[in-house]
Amino acid sequence: MSDDTTYEPTEHTLHPLKKIEIIVRGEKEEFVRELLDDSGVSGYTIHRDVAGRGEHGFHEGRLLFNDRAGLVMFFAVAEEEVIQGIVDGLTPLFEKSSGVMFVSDTQVVRLDKFLGEEDEAGGAA
Amino acid sequence: MPIKRSVLRARIENAGEVIGSLWPLRTFNAANPLAGFEDQPFDQAVDRARKLFGGRPYPRPATFRQAWENGEINPALLTRRLEAHGITDPPAALLERMAADDPPGDTSPADEPLDRLMTKWLAAFLDQGQADWPMPNREEGFYAAWRSVAPYDHDGPPVDSPSDLPPTLLDAFENVLTAYPEGQWESIFVQHLAALPGWVGFIKWRAQQDDHPWQAAYPISLADYLAVRLTLAKRMGRAIAPDDAEELPANGTTRPRLPALWLRAWEESYRRRLLDDLSAAADASGADEDDERPAAQMVFCIDVRSEVLRRHLEATGPYQTFGYAGFFGVPMQHERYDGVRVKSCPPIVNPRHRIAERPAPDRETQAATYDGWRRWGEAGRSLVKTLKHNVAAAFGFVEGSGGLFGAALAARTLLPSALFRATEAADARVPGPDHFCAPTVDRVPEADAEGPLPVGLSPEAKVTYAEAAFRLMGWTDTFAPVVVFTGHGCQTPNNPYKASLDCGACAGNPGGPNARVLAAICNDPDVREALRERGIDIPDDTTFVAGQHNTTTDEVTLFADPDEVEGASDTIRRLQADLETAQAETAAERVEHFRADRPDAPVDEVQRRAADWAETRPEWGLAGNAAFIVAPRRLTRDLNLNGRCFLHAYDWRSDAEGTALENIMTGPMVVGEWINTQYYFSTVDNAAYGSGSKVTQNVEGKVGVVQGNGGDLMSGLPLQSLRTDDVHVQHRPLRLLTLIQAPVGRVDAILERQNTLAQLLDNEWMALAVMDPEQDNTILRYRPGGEWTPDAAESAAPASAAG
Repeated sequence: MSDDTTYEPTEHTLHPLKKIEIIVRGEKEEFVRELLDDSGVSGYTIHRDVAGRGEHGFHEGRLLFNDRAGLVMFFAVAEEEVIQGIVDGLTPLFEKSSGVMFVSDTQVVRLDKFLGEEDEAGGAA
Repeated sequence: MPIKRSVLRARIENAGEVIGSLWPLRTFNAANPLAGFEDQPFDQAVDRARKLFGGRPYPRPATFRQAWENGEINPALLTRRLEAHGITDPPAALLERMAADDPPGDTSPADEPLDRLMTKWLAAFLDQGQADWPMPNREEGFYAAWRSVAPYDHDGPPVDSPSDLPPTLLDAFENVLTAYPEGQWESIFVQHLAALPGWVGFIKWRAQQDDHPWQAAYPISLADYLAVRLTLAKRMGRAIAPDDAEELPANGTTRPRLPALWLRAWEESYRRRLLDDLSAAADASGADEDDERPAAQMVFCIDVRSEVLRRHLEATGPYQTFGYAGFFGVPMQHERYDGVRVKSCPPIVNPRHRIAERPAPDRETQAATYDGWRRWGEAGRSLVKTLKHNVAAAFGFVEGSGGLFGAALAARTLLPSALFRATEAADARVPGPDHFCAPTVDRVPEADAEGPLPVGLSPEAKVTYAEAAFRLMGWTDTFAPVVVFTGHGCQTPNNPYKASLDCGACAGNPGGPNARVLAAICNDPDVREALRERGIDIPDDTTFVAGQHNTTTDEVTLFADPDEVEGASDTIRRLQADLETAQAETAAERVEHFRADRPDAPVDEVQRRAADWAETRPEWGLAGNAAFIVAPRRLTRDLNLNGRCFLHAYDWRSDAEGTALENIMTGPMVVGEWINTQYYFSTVDNAAYGSGSKVTQNVEGKVGVVQGNGGDLMSGLPLQSLRTDDVHVQHRPLRLLTLIQAPVGRVDAILERQNTLAQLLDNEWMALAVMDPEQDNTILRYRPGGEWTPDAAESAAPASAAG
């Protein structure tokens, strides 16, 4: 097998970014999704029906006949400025509804995957 | 400082919590109008809601008088409650005093010019196909569309051109809000949202629908509403911020009010009687286990209306009945034969499958006949509509056809019973889709692309839904030769509130389609095999059949031809005959609650009501609902519960982990609380929380009703669904009591895990009692805060805030 193409040495440089994790009740999933869609993040992950223990005791995962009471977890990775915009939108929400968010430092290899498009100005509030 | 969009959005989301979602008429759903207040104690919440919406917090004095004179309030209980608060006057004097203190009538809406402008534009924008000339530019969203037409509105403040108005939503908010600190925004928004809770509730509902065609085409959000309203308010010089922004003290008012005490005494009187009856029944039924195989078993919806029919059916022969949520646990969207898709599961459940009605393989001829008649009918209707709406043709059309329409009108008005029989006969000649269609229970992957949901059920999903049904009902052995899943729906012409009488667990649709799906699943040999491996052994000679209970006439239709069900033909024929007997008995019991034209012929009476287009009370729906019982039917079978109880089958012995109970409590019980609070608030203040008299209602934009020719959308139930006349109520506005037969520790563990349930109980939106079979069926009552006390200790307990 002959191949005369020369490969560039692959670089595994890590780029620092911020990660946000958000856990809210199912009824607020729509709100958080719109906030993320609008924030400039390039994408996010949703886990539905997560279980765990919190301020209000142990929370079970999936209920058969109630999709609103379950917990939903989001996570997204972006530049600090974008993450700050999400934090600004969630802080007032958590004054009224239960939920948590965590922001941490993280690193990614393929930086271009995480730089969202420029935020369009003047859209829907 | 520029406003951050994300912050603004969160403030609007928070403010929007005070308004309950309002479903469109066709899928009218019962919901607590004060759902956003459930994190507060009941007494405090109704008080705040009174300030915000002007709604009464408690029943009117005349309602208490009615209950008192009927003996529905136990004098000893009432006196004890009053004395505990230092009130020693005799009840009659207190009734007088309450009446004297009481403002007459329900809340009447204020005529505010800003509201008038808003409702005009909201009705135009949110129209869903009723208007012949729709509002222009709707595709740009409500704010942008309004901005483009505002210069032409001579009722509003003068606007020369759209460029006088802020160009975007965000600009509109900035234009108004920069004068106020962020901390005040929410109270500003709340005030403006609460001014029109009907339209705002509908916007809130619509904005949350992912795949709503009208929302996709013409988007609207609470932000749009607020931007228009605040812009108008500023230009008209109306108040932006509420005068009185201060909060109520956290503990609510200081002194319990008389109506709060009377309500609790009334509730306690009902609950006491019910719990005493149940205790007695538990003692009596203790040893008698019924192992004998019944001839047939029927599963009905938990709906309070099922109880009456079940009781009369059981009296006719060797039948067993069960209660289960009327969507039969199948979270589906139903596509009818005419292509219309409707959600067919409870408001708190998202549909996961689309089930379509397709002609069954051997019924294609029937389908073709039906299609032929349908095409003729449609062509006729379309012609009539064109003629009526065409300016040139309208006069000639009326002249030429007036006689025919007059005759039809006269027949509907004067001969409703004959009309009922004529319709039945026509249905028999050209059988409808129920007779020739079968649901797509198996997966049809090639149809998936036509919508967002997968069509049909995977083999795993089928087993899950079948197993869930039997586990939740605690039914793992003794299957009769015929098992019927019975959905329910009403029959009422000319009634915008038809959906409120259909199945609440099916999003205000009839439950028959869901029943058919579960029956088909349970007849599937692969499903039976999988169930057998899981310990649910259904004998080979058991056939599952679907049916539908017409709650207006109490007729039960079985979707099965007895001749075609092998080995069970005779059983089905006998069941059909017994169902007719049960119908007659049920109708006889129900007509006592009507001012009947024909009390001597109950079945004729209920059939007349089902066909009469002028009948404002076709049936009483769920009026009277007051309790939710989670227990085997054994416990309640010998009691007459007067159609006031939701009944969910449950057997504590087959649910050691409490999984089934947890699903019952978080699902059906919560829906029961929604229904009960809707009935409560619609009854205590029909103008603020109900929808007023049917006589003066008009349908607006195909989405809701208004009173007269405009104004806010009405929410809740009509007056005629709740009251017999201006003074007397049919629905007793009592909060729901749930009684669960299970070990108290199991229930407690569930409340520990499900904080929202504990919150409903701690804040007294509903009450809970447990009959503990491990403590000799002792009844324990849950007290706000989480303590359990024996039933008899009621008077000793200092109890609730106002009680």
